[in-house]
Amino acid sequence: MTLHLRRATEADLARIMQLENASFPTDAWPEDSMRFELNGPHTRYFVAFVAPEEQNLIGYGGLAKLQDSPQADIQTIAIGQDSRGKGFGKKLLERLIEEARNQSAEEIFLEVRADNQVAQGLYLSLGFEHIDTRKRYYQPADVDAWVMRLRLEKQNTKEPLVLGIESSCDETGIGIVRGNTLLANVISSSMDLHARFGGVVPEIAARAHLEALQPTLEKALKEAQIELSELDAIAVTNGPGLAGALMVGVGAAKALAVATGKPLYAVNHLVGHVGVDVLERGEVVTPTIALLVSGGHTSLLKVNHLLDDVELLGETIDDAAGEAFDKIARLLDLGYPGGPKIDEQAAKGDPKAIRFPRGLTLPKDMEKHRYDFSFSGLKTAVARWVEVKEAANEPYSIPDVAASFREAVIDVLVSKAINACLDHNIYRLLLGGGVVANARLREVAKAKCKEHGIELRIPAFSLCTDNGAMIAALGAQLVMAGRKPSGLDFGANSTLPVTTVQTP
Amino acid sequence: MILSIDTSAGTSVALIEDGVVRAEITVDDNMRHAEVIGETIAKILATTDTKPNQIKVVVAGRGPAPFTGLRVGIAAATMFAAGAGAKLYGISSLDAIAFNELTHGETQPLLVTADARRKEVYWAIYEGLDQDGVPIRTHGPAVNKPQDLEELLKEQNLVTVQAKSPMRASDLGLLAHNLQKANRLDADTSALYLRAADAVEPKPNQRFGKAVSG
Repeated sequence: MTLHLRRATEADLARIMQLENASFPTDAWPEDSMRFELNGPHTRYFVAFVAPEEQNLIGYGGLAKLQDSPQADIQTIAIGQDSRGKGFGKKLLERLIEEARNQSAEEIFLEVRADNQVAQGLYLSLGFEHIDTRKRYYQPADVDAWVMRLRLEKQNTKEPLVLGIESSCDETGIGIVRGNTLLANVISSSMDLHARFGGVVPEIAARAHLEALQPTLEKALKEAQIELSELDAIAVTNGPGLAGALMVGVGAAKALAVATGKPLYAVNHLVGHVGVDVLERGEVVTPTIALLVSGGHTSLLKVNHLLDDVELLGETIDDAAGEAFDKIARLLDLGYPGGPKIDEQAAKGDPKAIRFPRGLTLPKDMEKHRYDFSFSGLKTAVARWVEVKEAANEPYSIPDVAASFREAVIDVLVSKAINACLDHNIYRLLLGGGVVANARLREVAKAKCKEHGIELRIPAFSLCTDNGAMIAALGAQLVMAGRKPSGLDFGANSTLPVTTVQTP
Repeated sequence: MILSIDTSAGTSVALIEDGVVRAEITVDDNMRHAEVIGETIAKILATTDTKPNQIKVVVAGRGPAPFTGLRVGIAAATMFAAGAGAKLYGISSLDAIAFNELTHGETQPLLVTADARRKEVYWAIYEGLDQDGVPIRTHGPAVNKPQDLEELLKEQNLVTVQAKSPMRASDLGLLAHNLQKANRLDADTSALYLRAADAVEPKPNQRFGKAVSG
């Protein structure tokens, strides 16, 4: 039974009020005050649930901190009657303390009823001290309040040196970072080996990973000018991706961790694509929408907190976008990988020449699949169009087909991402994945984001494609947040959900 | 000290010192290599109170074996050696099985086979130990259907040894010890797949539904 925590939203208000009224019968906050707290610019609330009962919230807590102030306040914290005595309150409190740390607070204050020894015990156990008493603070019960304070040591002021291993698809990536600074990013791709098959062959990719491990590691260490003994931690992708390929990286990382005695962090590949922004920007500004597009994934994420609260809004229900490019390139005999080959032709063509269908954009599809993608219908439509022309012996322009196809893919990708931003009132969009190399995708995304006043982040291409640096960067974030390393017994999980940022 | 790792069948890790097996752990599960490899190595070190840098030689079992599990052991051996500053070597897992049989009194020529799935077997033939205590391989390793192999080896009067599942890393480590004494360890750790990857090249100029798989 593990406790999960996520950022609270206004949708949680009703349940929070139930808990509030039950926990503080004489001095509960009115609903309006609570709503204000949940939506406040300087407050951050979390709710707790025990998976899989995500709807059944069992507790909540909130922190307030003004941006430039070194002081944070724990506004409230409550755990439902039935869920007490299980250490849940401690977990929630630890999360609030971490949040204060992330916001660079130096001290945290709270008030607690002088007669609530259970709560005082919890605060004392986490290092809070009783510094003052406010007489008759709680009315109408007429009870004193203890003012308690926790001084935050600057944690991990030393930026951790972390090595990341990525092997989820056809790139063997080993990256090394120091905190948010990139030191090495070596990628060995087996792309050429897949060319004659027109797509990634899992067994070939896995074989290539095994052969690439040692040379890639040596190159990365040399590039970063460090030795393994200097590392503070190792991070590895344990999913999602191709199972056989992931297992090579997982086996390698575990043995490296045991041999060097370094802590190991098993991290989520897709969240790595988001976390990589710290290497260019120093932080991942949240909340943000992220559109991840590659040969293996087409996913739209809502990132409320990089390490704790990532939601999958939608994903492809058939082919990944990169796969669609590969298949159409093969249809048109353009070669592999499809993205650049289609791009080359499309540059000479008219994107409006042929109106190919936009998958899952009809009103009835939008009801069920607002943020999902589908490219197989488009693929078939292009194939039929070409077949008809060929059967009739009519000449046609490959550049026009390529440009029109590309436009259809990009149109859907960008418009769904923009919808996600607008629907959630999040004016930030981050792109990731190998398909970001596509110039037209970047161009359309830039134009549309500008139109809607959305801030667009596009990391450098070497950080967008699958790479070890993003895994190291996410690992470093976990280390800096004081997270416990993963055990040694995690497996490769080809369908790891984005909600699992780190596998314990 | 020698650390030997074999994931041909289950996951097996052993520590050999001066030709003696100090510890061996074998996990008989051919679906969970990636899950158990780290803890298995860690336990071997802990139970023998060994520090990684005391290990000077790491040996990986190269198979032949079904691929996915086999790779986990070789990947782990590769990175353990890098992390511990040890030398890395590879040995055919069938050689290790033959070594065990031949050092336990078997004198006749041996046919060693292991399950290759898909109704095939990996095999190799050995005719005894040489002066260094290393099995002399005369045929293989190769992969065939059992009936073809029978045909091939008709009237050869071989003792057939079927690989026990799981493979034991101690056999691998003890053989490595003999090879090391004779300065014959081989740095090749590439996996013995013996089969090409399953992948079908699409025929050129064919359109959707024909050329495109998946």
